[in-house]
Amino acid sequence: MICVGDVYKRYQTPHGVGRWVLCGVSFTIPPRLSVGLIGANGEGKSTLLRIIGGVDEPNKGRVKRLCRVSWPMGSGGLEPTLTGRQNAKFVCRIHGHENDLADRLSFIQDFAEIGNAFDAPVNTYSSGMRSRLQFAMSLAFNFDVYISDEVTSAGDARFRRKTANAFKTIAKQSSVIMVSHAEGTLKDFCEAGIWLHQGKAYWFDQIDDALKAYKESIAA
Amino acid sequence: MSTALRSPIAITFFVWRAIFLREALDRLFRERAAWFWLLIEPVLHIAFLAILWTVIRLRTMGGIDVVVWLSVGLLSFFFFRRTAMQTMYGVDCSRPLFVYRQVKPIDPTVVRAALEGFLMVLVSAIVLVGLALLGHMVWRPDDPLMIFVATFGLWLFGLGFGLITSVLIMLVQELEHIFKIVMLPLYLISGVIWPLASIPPKYRELLLINPVAHGLEAVRLGFSHAYHAVPELSLPYLYGAAVVFIFVGLLLHRAYALRLVMQ
Repeated sequence: MICVGDVYKRYQTPHGVGRWVLCGVSFTIPPRLSVGLIGANGEGKSTLLRIIGGVDEPNKGRVKRLCRVSWPMGSGGLEPTLTGRQNAKFVCRIHGHENDLADRLSFIQDFAEIGNAFDAPVNTYSSGMRSRLQFAMSLAFNFDVYISDEVTSAGDARFRRKTANAFKTIAKQSSVIMVSHAEGTLKDFCEAGIWLHQGKAYWFDQIDDALKAYKESIAA
Repeated sequence: MSTALRSPIAITFFVWRAIFLREALDRLFRERAAWFWLLIEPVLHIAFLAILWTVIRLRTMGGIDVVVWLSVGLLSFFFFRRTAMQTMYGVDCSRPLFVYRQVKPIDPTVVRAALEGFLMVLVSAIVLVGLALLGHMVWRPDDPLMIFVATFGLWLFGLGFGLITSVLIMLVQELEHIFKIVMLPLYLISGVIWPLASIPPKYRELLLINPVAHGLEAVRLGFSHAYHAVPELSLPYLYGAAVVFIFVGLLLHRAYALRLVMQ
């Protein structure tokens, strides 16, 4: 379970303090419920994911994580000059898997399906290969909640199906919180939806209702 | 496959180990033969200055072989400077790692200092053994413990310097240039390439405000008791300065912990 309580967030910019990106956001995500975050660009989706993931701190309010939450899979987290294998090793090590390092690595290598590129520097990867690697890395660990920032939509159709299946098999213990602009992906993975609009968060029990609210807001 | 909850200490230990291995890889193999340049930089400095002093027919400095005097001083200075510089960029260069919430800004800075100290021990050992084979180094220093204590003090001071600057350059980016520029005069006034003992006491006192100078003189004295070190030499002063710097550095890291990870 994740409790987000009255979270406010704004950024320091070179031109002074920015506007409130999140302005009193509160919700509770029950265990094993997958949630999609929906909203226009700049409405604070990634910010909220980073705060839920514990990577960034809110200016006000608090987040309680009563479960094991993954790191936010997204743009960062891979050192470009190191190879995929070296990056994977690093992540295994900080999660305390020194003893079964070889098993985890072979899982990551198998799942990512990037072939010999696993031993090439990450800056030679395409965006699809990058997200495959990130996804494989996070699935190598048992998290209760996986946080995904646009990663799922970067892979090709076949890989998306594979990740969706992987999630379905672990769905009994785990869930996902994701940001995506691909409607199909959201519907595949998520049951509930959160619509972020002008600093506020609106909870919908059905992802379809959240998508409808979002579409109405941009049509208006 | 489920893992028991790890204690915060255990997590920090795992993180330090992971960062150490990753940074070592980066430092030694980032570019072609990166490890070679780590070694060759002090060697070139020593060779150049040794030739310079030999040309003006100087054989001894303060009572010991000038090559010993130079190489020991240079290596000690590098001990401080490399630790300080690597630690200074510890936060800035590790930003991708903060995606993993186990990694705090303090972790890469401390680990980088440890790695640099470790590498400098290896580099120093290779250079000193090389010089000994060339007949310019004593195989058995007079006071190995003093060498160890002084070098460790220089490393601690480098760590303190790095802890402070690593936060400051994140808050005010322009300071990076200042800290880099500071290193050159520090090289000159620390008594690396000329003896501080030759300066009149009135001005020497000013130069000995610099803790690095104390460390350098102490290491030389540890190699040979025959060396005429500056009379004001004080290892407690070096350690005092190091402790103050580390304390201020940790304070800054604590105070700006959130600012460093926020984007």
